[in-house]
Amino acid sequence: MKDLVAILVNSLLAAGLYATMSYGLAVIYGVMRIINLAHAGILMLGAYATLTLYSRFGLDPFLSLAVVIPVFFGFGVLLYLTMVRRLPRSSSGASIESLLLLFGVWLVLQNLAYAIWTGDTQSILTGYTMKSLSVLGVRVGVPTVAVFAVSAASLVVLQVILRRTYLGRAIRAVTQNRDAALIAGVNADRISAVAFGIGTAFAGVAGSLLATMYAFTPDFGRSFLLKSFCIIVLAGMESVAGVAAGSFLLALLENVVGGYTSIPTSFQDALSFLLLVVALVAFPHGLLGAFGRSSLRRRSIP
Amino acid sequence: MRRRARSLALGAASLALLLAAPSFLERGTLNDIWNVAFAVILASAWNLLGGFAGQISIGYSAFIGIGAYTTALLALKGVNPYATLPLAALLGAAFSFVVGLPTFRLRGPYFTIATIGVSEAVRVVATGVAFTGGSSGLRMPAGSFDFTRNYASMVILAVAVVSLSAWVKNSPFGRALAAIRQDIDAAESLGVHSARYKLLAHALSAAIVAVAGSLFAINFQYISPGSVFDFRLSLSIVLMPIVGGLGTVGGPVLGALLFGYLQIKLLSSPALRDSYLFIYGGMLIAVMLFEPKGLLGLFHRLRRAAGRAVSRPVPDAG
Repeated sequence: MKDLVAILVNSLLAAGLYATMSYGLAVIYGVMRIINLAHAGILMLGAYATLTLYSRFGLDPFLSLAVVIPVFFGFGVLLYLTMVRRLPRSSSGASIESLLLLFGVWLVLQNLAYAIWTGDTQSILTGYTMKSLSVLGVRVGVPTVAVFAVSAASLVVLQVILRRTYLGRAIRAVTQNRDAALIAGVNADRISAVAFGIGTAFAGVAGSLLATMYAFTPDFGRSFLLKSFCIIVLAGMESVAGVAAGSFLLALLENVVGGYTSIPTSFQDALSFLLLVVALVAFPHGLLGAFGRSSLRRRSIP
Repeated sequence: MRRRARSLALGAASLALLLAAPSFLERGTLNDIWNVAFAVILASAWNLLGGFAGQISIGYSAFIGIGAYTTALLALKGVNPYATLPLAALLGAAFSFVVGLPTFRLRGPYFTIATIGVSEAVRVVATGVAFTGGSSGLRMPAGSFDFTRNYASMVILAVAVVSLSAWVKNSPFGRALAAIRQDIDAAESLGVHSARYKLLAHALSAAIVAVAGSLFAINFQYISPGSVFDFRLSLSIVLMPIVGGLGTVGGPVLGALLFGYLQIKLLSSPALRDSYLFIYGGMLIAVMLFEPKGLLGLFHRLRRAAGRAVSRPVPDAG
């Protein structure tokens, strides 16, 4: 029983971070039908940005988000304007050209990190890194709780933007039907630029948060990229709530496998990659689709 | 017909020249040729599925690893390493079905992502299980090294794969793959059994790549999951045909020559070695933004432009 509570608490805490990092991928896919492979590179860059701000200027990793968010937003808009916009747009599904282009961007970012920060393993150690507190009788690390709080807050802010502002409604309109949004007078090009900025900013935030919990190298981010894919495939691409549910599901699975089975921890990543493949193949319309709601608004995943 | 005779003669001549090379070239140069031949095999084999059928897989290092480990494990049991090549091909093809049967239901980028997932899973498992030697790897038994023989096998395989790819391109099989690449729904409605053709192309290219992996293990004498299941290996396999020209016969060869040359340069200069991701990524970005048909497409465009520049004055003269 106590185990069960521990697993639920740990899953919930991990799910917050997963949702933040997945939403960055989901918003870009939703608006542009582009699979952003550079996401992994941006996660990594977010981690290093936080490290630099902490070691050079003594800025607390969580306060560094005040710098990371605007900088990464700008970087995302720049990526869109200089590269992504130049690709031919495909109306049906994601194009392989955009995938490969952003793959190239990921490689360049990785090399940039090697050049600036070398390949050494880095980590951020603050006064509270090793502290823990008790949640519902379960000992959890202070950074884990703080990461969850920041993730939850950023998702709430996002939800408010998406529901209450013109920008948010425009983003949702382009996601649902680009042509209809254009007819209704939405400037889809500008919305795409903003969406790319938001997606990149979310990846940057997720990277900063990951840096407080894990050690990282310039190669960091690939397994989190695959986890994000897994989540948005499970959850569908549209709603923040769906992404949150998918995140919880993946975190729960990982914790159950870690807690109840004897599968060695080194195989756990392999498990979530295989889950990705299973999810892609078994639920091409997302989990919600699997429960029959997709007949109303069919997602165009594969 | 004449064209076919000419390419046949070209293939035979280059094979003869390459096989005669050890008698007049020094060992270092032969090593470079070996490297380029390895790259040509990987690029042309990948192109059978990725180029002709348009199914971009970023997971081919799994097949190199399967080939390399088949050979290394059997050689350690006393089997002649060259006798293991057919089994390596068979196991590579078998694993291609394991990967392909579920993932070929996915289209375009979703297939690509699934292949990243599969190859990462394979790498993680290979590092974790005992028979691969874990992260410390395996050493081939002493006496299994024979450069002359390895060189000859590599060169023959390279010429054979390029010939195969030239044959496939103009065969009914190749036309079915092209139909799948251009419009899978239209191909299906015309009676092309797309899943079957994709699986076949995948198996063919996986078997070839696995054999190349075996030869790699014999030549380097030491393999580990970090070297043969490396994500970067999958990466350069994809980049060569894309940079050279996707879905053509010459493109992958061109890309392999370029990458083989680059790699030799990279290994000799530390400054370049530290920026290889930059070079790879930059090339990928440049190709996607400016010339999705790769170097071969660029050549054709330049030639057309040159042709126009030459032919323009003619009406004036007349």
